[in-house]
Amino acid sequence: MMKTHKFTVFVGAYVALTVGSICFSQKTIEAESSSAKARPSEPDIDPMVVKDRALKVLNTYCVSCHGPDKQRGDVRTDTLAELTGDARSGLLNRMHEAVRLKEMPPKGAKQPTDAERKLLDRWLGRELAKTGGGKLEEKLRKPEFGNYIDHEKLFSGEYVDLPGFTSDRRWLISEFIFDAKMQRILDVRTTGEWHGKRVSVFGGHQLRDLSLANPFLLPETSGVRYYAIEDLTGGHLSTMLSNAQKTSVYITETLVKDNRKKNYLPVVRQILSIEDQHETTLISRKQFLEKYIARVCENLYGDKNTELLPKFVPTKLKEKKKFSADDTKKDKPLPIAVAQNQLTKSGGWDVFQQAVLDPANADKTDQEIADLCERVWFYHGDFELDIQGRLALLRDYGSEFRNRVANEKKAKREIDKPLDVVEMQAIHAAIRKHRQHGDRYKEIIEKCVTGWEQQFRQDQINAGPPSEELYGKMINELFLHILERSPGNEEASQYLSVVRGYADKLGRRKAVQKLIQTLLLTSEFAYRGEFGVGEPDEHGRRMMAPRDAAYAIAYALTDQSPDEQLLEAARTGRLITREDYRREVTRILRQRDVYYRVDKNLADRWREGNTTNMPIRELRFFREFFGYPKALKIFKDEKRFGGDRLDNATNRLLEEADRMVAHILEADRDVFEKLLSTEEFIVYHDGDNERMRARSDEIKRIYEYFKDKDWQNFKMEDLTKKHADFLRTVTMRTIDPDKPNGRTRQGNMLQLFKKSMQSITNRMDDGQKHPAPFDLYRGYGNDFLPGYNVGKFWNHDLDNWHYEPVQPAKVLNRKGMLTHPAWLIAHAFNTETDPVHRGKWVREKLLAGTIPDVPITVDAVIPEDHNRTLRARLASATENDYCWKCHKQMNPLGNAFEMYDDFGRFRLVESLEYPEQLLKKGPEQNGDHLVDTRDAFKTLPVDSTGHLEGTCDVSLDGKVTNALDLVDRLAKSRRVRQSIIRHAFRYFMGRNEQLSDSKTLIEAERAYVDSGGSFDAVIVSLLTSDSFIYRKAIEE
Amino acid sequence: MDTSRRQFLRATALGAGALALSPSLDPLAAASREMGPRRFIFIRKSSGIRPLETALVDFSDREKKLDQDKQPLEVALDKHELPVWLRGLDQYKAQMTILQGLSAKMSENVHWSFSSVMGCFKSQRNTLSAIKRTTIDFELAKLFPSPFGHVELSFAGGRTGIVDGYSAPAPQTRNYCYADPETARNELFKSVLNPDAVTSDNDMLSFLQSREGMELTGIKGHEKKRQELHVGSIEAIRERNRKLVSLSDSLKKHVPKLSPVHSDGGPNASTPEKQAAMTDVLIAALVSGLTNVVTYTIDDLGTPITGLPGNETDRVGIHPLGHDEAFGGVPAWKTREQIRISHVKQIKTIVERLEKVPEGKGTMFDNTMVMYFPENGETHHGVGTESPFIIMAGRNCKLDIAGRYIRLPFHGTEGHKTLGNWYTTLLNAHGNPIEHYGDLDVTMQRNKLDQTGAIKRFIA
Repeated sequence: MMKTHKFTVFVGAYVALTVGSICFSQKTIEAESSSAKARPSEPDIDPMVVKDRALKVLNTYCVSCHGPDKQRGDVRTDTLAELTGDARSGLLNRMHEAVRLKEMPPKGAKQPTDAERKLLDRWLGRELAKTGGGKLEEKLRKPEFGNYIDHEKLFSGEYVDLPGFTSDRRWLISEFIFDAKMQRILDVRTTGEWHGKRVSVFGGHQLRDLSLANPFLLPETSGVRYYAIEDLTGGHLSTMLSNAQKTSVYITETLVKDNRKKNYLPVVRQILSIEDQHETTLISRKQFLEKYIARVCENLYGDKNTELLPKFVPTKLKEKKKFSADDTKKDKPLPIAVAQNQLTKSGGWDVFQQAVLDPANADKTDQEIADLCERVWFYHGDFELDIQGRLALLRDYGSEFRNRVANEKKAKREIDKPLDVVEMQAIHAAIRKHRQHGDRYKEIIEKCVTGWEQQFRQDQINAGPPSEELYGKMINELFLHILERSPGNEEASQYLSVVRGYADKLGRRKAVQKLIQTLLLTSEFAYRGEFGVGEPDEHGRRMMAPRDAAYAIAYALTDQSPDEQLLEAARTGRLITREDYRREVTRILRQRDVYYRVDKNLADRWREGNTTNMPIRELRFFREFFGYPKALKIFKDEKRFGGDRLDNATNRLLEEADRMVAHILEADRDVFEKLLSTEEFIVYHDGDNERMRARSDEIKRIYEYFKDKDWQNFKMEDLTKKHADFLRTVTMRTIDPDKPNGRTRQGNMLQLFKKSMQSITNRMDDGQKHPAPFDLYRGYGNDFLPGYNVGKFWNHDLDNWHYEPVQPAKVLNRKGMLTHPAWLIAHAFNTETDPVHRGKWVREKLLAGTIPDVPITVDAVIPEDHNRTLRARLASATENDYCWKCHKQMNPLGNAFEMYDDFGRFRLVESLEYPEQLLKKGPEQNGDHLVDTRDAFKTLPVDSTGHLEGTCDVSLDGKVTNALDLVDRLAKSRRVRQSIIRHAFRYFMGRNEQLSDSKTLIEAERAYVDSGGSFDAVIVSLLTSDSFIYRKAIEE
Repeated sequence: MDTSRRQFLRATALGAGALALSPSLDPLAAASREMGPRRFIFIRKSSGIRPLETALVDFSDREKKLDQDKQPLEVALDKHELPVWLRGLDQYKAQMTILQGLSAKMSENVHWSFSSVMGCFKSQRNTLSAIKRTTIDFELAKLFPSPFGHVELSFAGGRTGIVDGYSAPAPQTRNYCYADPETARNELFKSVLNPDAVTSDNDMLSFLQSREGMELTGIKGHEKKRQELHVGSIEAIRERNRKLVSLSDSLKKHVPKLSPVHSDGGPNASTPEKQAAMTDVLIAALVSGLTNVVTYTIDDLGTPITGLPGNETDRVGIHPLGHDEAFGGVPAWKTREQIRISHVKQIKTIVERLEKVPEGKGTMFDNTMVMYFPENGETHHGVGTESPFIIMAGRNCKLDIAGRYIRLPFHGTEGHKTLGNWYTTLLNAHGNPIEHYGDLDVTMQRNKLDQTGAIKRFIA
């Protein structure tokens, strides 16, 4: 275990920093640091003495509740000596955690002194170390235990002299880095949309059709998800083995053969060039023969060709049945389009089409055309079942198919395109050599191909193996391509020997594949290294190696490997000072000409937007910190939502939440405060104010034009003549006076016009200044901006939406991200709100508080009661002595959000959604996109009052009237600012903070304040801190 | 040349050794140690099975009314006549269950379900990120480990070679499957048919192991443990490959013989021929001990059907049939019935053949469950309120369901059970104590009805 991760019990009582403030009591511990200012080491006490003393402490404070008389929580400590194996280590671990985190003895019970607690902790740790079964240290490295380090001490200034550092380490790559690496290796180009134009983007996980499994998926929790605590396991390796095999084949079978990618692995291409050239030739000859062999043979053999073919045996078709009277009335013959599709799928359409297009066949009957096709298929050697299926279709649809071909504008007769003279000579020679009497064309092709394959193999043997030099170049090329470095001399020599062995056994292509697989399976591929180099300073610290630093900076801000400038800085000795770090970090933070996919999962289901030009990990910090992307995973009921296409609405909601965060980050002023309390949001808006306003104005114009006209009783002529000039100036889906036959599944042009006018009227007749610019009727596909139902999350009735075309804009009853529906849904259940987890989130993420896990003896369920609000039911379950000690840290915070329902909609009353409380069934969708389909239930008033405690600021702590009041206070809290900075530290460092990081945290906070609330300043401060740039060697 | 897809996937076929190494297959062998071997065969069909098609033809009036009104119902099969298409299994009524009334609304419905019908999540039209969890077949495979862990066979889309499957060994991970009998045979029995491929894998791993072992020098603490873990993982893979090679003699006895018509994907093999050959491979994989869990997509809407009785010379499309569009003048419902009959024939073959293989004090079938079900529910355009299962289970089955037609309370009503309840039942009965498998049903939630956990009355 690394010394720097050890913890000892905090000795001394909690001391509030702010004079006069009453801070919420927290369970915290103190991190030990190997610093110069560390406390004197423990005296080396005889272990037997420690044991005796520890057992005495145990007997004094624990056995009365966990002994022979009582076993609270089914725990008994007095029989510890009798336990063995898992039972013993399990109990020791529980005790260790309870002692270290001060969970026991419970509040109100007699407490051990700090020295006694420390002694017991130490003994328990030693006992666990004997069997290697200790779990606490590992647990405390996890992000969810980050807050157990005393907050006040971290920011007190008392520890700023402790030198910051991170231990030398390897950090398992994240799912995002894996995607980026594989996209780079496979030369995958992804595009996205940015302000209306297509741009090349980094990110996403579309790796062609390889279906690579990502072995490095991160946990789906809110908060910091990517930590340097995971190990590469057999599971990762097994998945990578499969990935490596797929990848190696794809590289050698497809990518290096792609003539559009001449610069892709040129040495591999050179080594495989003979094989590739042969394969290209083979493909070309085969493709040619597949199309034209009949004509080639006719030319070669003249009249004798027919004699050489096998005797034609016509296919016997089963007679077509007629539906009997007993058959269901629903049965019908295949529609012509389906029948054509069937013929195409069975491989028969092309021959039929060519036969019909041949003028020589113009006078032939349908049967004669079918016979002609059958002969073509028969002589070619097509499979009997295929021929049968095709002929059955020609029998039933022959003349309709002919009409279709005649009406197909793109259908053209195929003209022979011979290959060059040399190739044609080779083909003619092969046919003459291999053709035998009775062969079908397919058999001739197969024989020719086999002959050419044999010849090419011999040519390859005659050419000899590649030179050692060429192999050496290839090894270097693949090292650079996969591991992004050249091999050392010894390494290169070992790999050369292995590659030659592979090649001797398996041939060149397989040898290259094995080499690629080997490199992809190395631990170097899966881990990012961060090690110090050079002479250690007086604290034993060394600066990160420049190459490691380049990667550390790149991966801190993006998922990509370092760009050329960063690598150049590392190569040329310009990444060795704090200023060097500052220069590069600042450069990347300001870069705006690189685009990133924001959310790969969202990209799977949502093709709109989802692109950013700020370094992706800056934006991702807040996505993960707030945890709102989880809204995608919360399964919601469309009926309760009040409309369909909920998926689209949720996707838009999430994308707009991202853009709102990005908007605040882009301004980079008072970032935390704005994120917590802004009144301006983005709702159904693509970021282009001009476009949105123009469309909204257009709808308004249509309304103004028609509102006083009797459009309800219009006839088609009204559209095509009387109002045609106006209609030509506006966009109304499917309404085009010059195309009166236009229709969709929803009706003809006149019907659609009336539908659209009804929709427009509903949206405008309450004096709305601007209508929301969504589609005018509910059809398939979208003509403007999908996800219109997003308005429902924000309490906008679709038929009474006072839309704001210029955004971000103020939305009633909302302030900051914690009132954004995406956050509220992400922290809710499928059908109910979740005040406990909302409160827990605030406590842990904003107030740096700690809340223990739910005890295993507690069945945490909110009782059902059809006549009470959720808040009341929760109170009845938690407001008792036992539960309240933890729930008082959550419920009073989470209850304030009861002013929003589980869809994030503002509310004054809570619906009692039980069958017996139903007042009125909601309408069905029935094609009307403005309808609200919700059922109406009896309601009770919502109580959104709450209580804030834990800001350590008397002016902020206290009763809150609702969530808006709460977030206002949180936004003003220094503790909240510090808490966000602590999470940012964890995110960028990949570990929990310790007391030696105190200076780093204080400076990050100062940078934020001095810069007027710039998050960029926080990042620069963190990535130029001692904690980031200095590394210490790992000790045993 | 169409190298890109088919040949590429064929070439990337993992050797028999490597296939066993999916990360989700870490042995949770406790269940199998306690209850002995258990096998599960999931046979997925497309285009739904309509409620009337599972109804017993001689239901009493009362039973018929209950069934049609979707009311709970349970009758003994031995006192009733099976629907025509199920009569191939007449002699096995005692081992059969017709389970009707499970809902599958939490999975994808309408035409396709992709991974979701076996994972109880919305698959968002088969997007990778939507794969929320390990599918039920892989979960069961964890409980009963085997060299291959899990095998997926498929005729979906009329493809051949090794292609994407529908099962998921882990979240956001798509399995592959063998799409024609010849490929399935060659890949499953690769260690016998092509031992060089396995050897070359091990050569590579050996080199890798020695390289990574060298990295151990000079590192300390946690990094050293990490590296040891990595080296150990490579060794574990090599060891499992070695074990598989050592099984060669046993495997040789079970390599199925295939007719030449199945060469190169079997383009001229009729559907009955293909199905029979795939069934042979499936049985061989079980009997040889290569796997204990098989998922077999016997068709999907893109599978071409040829040589079917009544439509012998037609090339039938399942999608048009689902829209009642007929081929060769044969009413669509009749062709659909013939398709189901061809499926039942495969199930019968599996049962018969496994019954002939001794195991313990009985036969291999005693320890086997065959589950046949539509991927999308109750019709061609499934809505997910009824997702029927036909189950054939041997005498050691851990569930108390045999010999019955069981209709569960309808969706959204008290006592209703979802696909998630059914899969939870399978897992609980076989050693995985999971509280509930799969996403919850929103209608049940809205109606405030209990819907988590196993179907307790099914657990013997």
